[in-house]
Amino acid sequence: MDVRTLIFLVGVIGLSFYFLGRYRIVTQSAQAVQRPHSLLHYYGLYPFFLAIIPSCFIIAIMQVADGFVLSILIEQYLPADIRGGDEFNKTITLSRIENIASGVIFGSPEDWLIAAANKWLIWSERAQLTTTILAISSSILLGSYAYMKVNPGFRSRNAVEQIILVMMMFCSGVAILTTIGIIFSVIFESLRFFALVSPMEFLMGLTWNPQFEGAERAGSGQEGLATYGSVPLFAGTFLISAIALTVAVPVGLMAAIYLSEYASPRIRATVKPLMEILAGIPTVVYGFFAALTVAPLVRGAGESIGLTVASESALAAGLVMGIMIIPFVSSLSDDVINAVPQSLRDAALGLGSTRSEMTKQVVLPAALPGIVASVLLAVSRAVGETMIVVMAAGLAANLSANPLDAVTTVTAQIVTILVGDQEFESAKTLSAFALALTLIVITLVLNLIALQIVKKYREQYD
Amino acid sequence: MDNFNGIEPPMDTVGNIRVNNARIMCNNVFVHYSDKRAIDNLSLDIEAQKVTAFIGPSGCGKSTFLRCLNRMNDTIATCSVTGEILLDNQDIYAPEIDVVPLRARIGMVFQKANPFPKSIFDNVAYGPKIHGLAESKSHLENQVEEALRRAGLWEEVKDRLDQPGTGLSGGQQQRLCIARTIAVSPEIILMDEPCSALDPIATAKIEELIEELSEKYTIVIVTHSMQQAARVSHRTAYFHLGRLIEVGATKELFTSPHHKLTENYITGRFG
Ligand SMILES: Nc1ncnc2c1ncn2[C@@H]1O[C@H](COP(=O)(O)OP(=O)(O)O)[C@@H](O)[C@H]1O
Ligand SMILES: [Mg+2]
Repeated sequence: MDVRTLIFLVGVIGLSFYFLGRYRIVTQSAQAVQRPHSLLHYYGLYPFFLAIIPSCFIIAIMQVADGFVLSILIEQYLPADIRGGDEFNKTITLSRIENIASGVIFGSPEDWLIAAANKWLIWSERAQLTTTILAISSSILLGSYAYMKVNPGFRSRNAVEQIILVMMMFCSGVAILTTIGIIFSVIFESLRFFALVSPMEFLMGLTWNPQFEGAERAGSGQEGLATYGSVPLFAGTFLISAIALTVAVPVGLMAAIYLSEYASPRIRATVKPLMEILAGIPTVVYGFFAALTVAPLVRGAGESIGLTVASESALAAGLVMGIMIIPFVSSLSDDVINAVPQSLRDAALGLGSTRSEMTKQVVLPAALPGIVASVLLAVSRAVGETMIVVMAAGLAANLSANPLDAVTTVTAQIVTILVGDQEFESAKTLSAFALALTLIVITLVLNLIALQIVKKYREQYD
Repeated sequence: MDNFNGIEPPMDTVGNIRVNNARIMCNNVFVHYSDKRAIDNLSLDIEAQKVTAFIGPSGCGKSTFLRCLNRMNDTIATCSVTGEILLDNQDIYAPEIDVVPLRARIGMVFQKANPFPKSIFDNVAYGPKIHGLAESKSHLENQVEEALRRAGLWEEVKDRLDQPGTGLSGGQQQRLCIARTIAVSPEIILMDEPCSALDPIATAKIEELIEELSEKYTIVIVTHSMQQAARVSHRTAYFHLGRLIEVGATKELFTSPHHKLTENYITGRFG
């Protein structure tokens, strides 16, 4: 039975248990003239959950496990040279076997391949049968168990609550585990990179040039040509981010102050969502806006006053990125400014302050930590932004503080490294992970600082 | 009994709404929140250098009327005030009046102590700074000390002026707010239930302070505690559903109220 039918069947069993449970509590409480402990539907939900949740787990686990187990089992049918050969070949062979088993055949495969595919087919049918039996029987057994427990004295509401609690814990666990998984895979790959390139070169080197990378860095006859000094990339990232923040922070902050202190509720209700739309525009749109509109403008303006401007400049990318992150600053700052209690405003006004004195001397200082946090969020956003940079700032890893030069950023380099053909083992590919790791650490630190400030901010008033 | 939506009834407050020595004179004041009438045709004098108390069940418009006196109601968009409120014979709602100096002349202390999240010193120094009252740093320090002394807080905080005002106890915070108000050298101080969040000891301190301040300032205090009104005020006004029902010398109003509603309220049969 295939998975879809199986899931459907389990669902049907679950639903039947729902109605059975309800029916049972209705008849039982009528006979016993006893009011059930919980509302009626809880007596249906309890068997329903028990019937479907463990079964779904079984199905999911079997789905994930069977490919894995099958590849181990099938290995003994592979010719010795492939079995003992490198991982890569083995993976390809296994996926060929799997393809043949599911009827996708390219050319005329060797006999041993077909034999293996047949084995694969038989085993995977067995696996499916096992899954079906396990899932259905657990569904029926646990459903019946829950059904038997149904009686007016049974606290099914609390039991259902427990089940929901466990499910929620599981879901949050998944989110956390995924994050940890990503971070560990990045760390692991970075370590492989640092085995090839010294961390000192990576963190301190002033030239980024992975282009001459051969298959293996050492012994390729080209060693020394590729250089992995990440300083120009981080410098580019910070240059562009700095330009973006120079645009976004004043504009966003002023907008936030206007919205929360001066605008009438009606204006606020229309302007704020409009500004937030800016945050919803896909960054690729900003990217071509930067490349096609702003970059030529910047160049034209620069040349008209006699400056040489690269056709792709940090300035153009930074300006557009600044526009993009305005809503991050304005929206969050507006929230924190609004969170400053009215009583503080009353106090300031009651002492005879003007509105702007009140804003400057009472509201902004009280909201400052929150504003700083919003700026830090914008920084994280700017540092992580890729699309605009790829499209408007260029890919040249120049080490330059001149905003009119073309520069590149960490994220843009990661993209160029990983787009197109690449060898998994090469230092060039692995360098993307090292860059990513460094970037994650930087944004993590920024977020920690923001969190710390927000925490302090909560202690400020009240 | 009271129908706000009817045609303006003639307002007949029991007792003498006028005094000889009036600092503020209110004539036919109406206040609306959008369409809802919160103060209904109110006329009343506030006597100079005396403590006037507003009492009445909650929601009867005491705070609303108090906030008219320094135009704090301006900050509420839906609030509209009509009628005359004369401070030294000048209508404070006249178009040529600037609210900023007005509020410096008429200070306000709020129901919930609201010190700025700044140091104790900066809290008190705030007013003198924005109004340019201090000529030098030492002058400012003197003013802060003076205000804190008047508010009876100096001895308790003189060693920790640089610590946040929000770290003080509730009663101290309220006295800090009073000091902050005094530091601007107002002529009139409005207090909206200043003790409602305080324990009896802190309350007693503030009441003592009000008594001292009344020698120098004209004070209007809203209170829900009749005992407090009886203890600190010279004149008491009883509000009911947006109207001023009765006004008179405090002693007299509490011992022999003339209006039935006043009597019910002070004998505890109401609210
Ligand atoms: N900001 C406001 N918006 C609308 N109605 C208000 C507002 N403030 C007070 N009111 C209404 O005005 C009336 C008087 O309120 P208030 O002056 O606060 O009474 P009190 O201080 O005597 O308890 C109440 O009915 C209240 O609901
Ligand atoms: Mg009130």
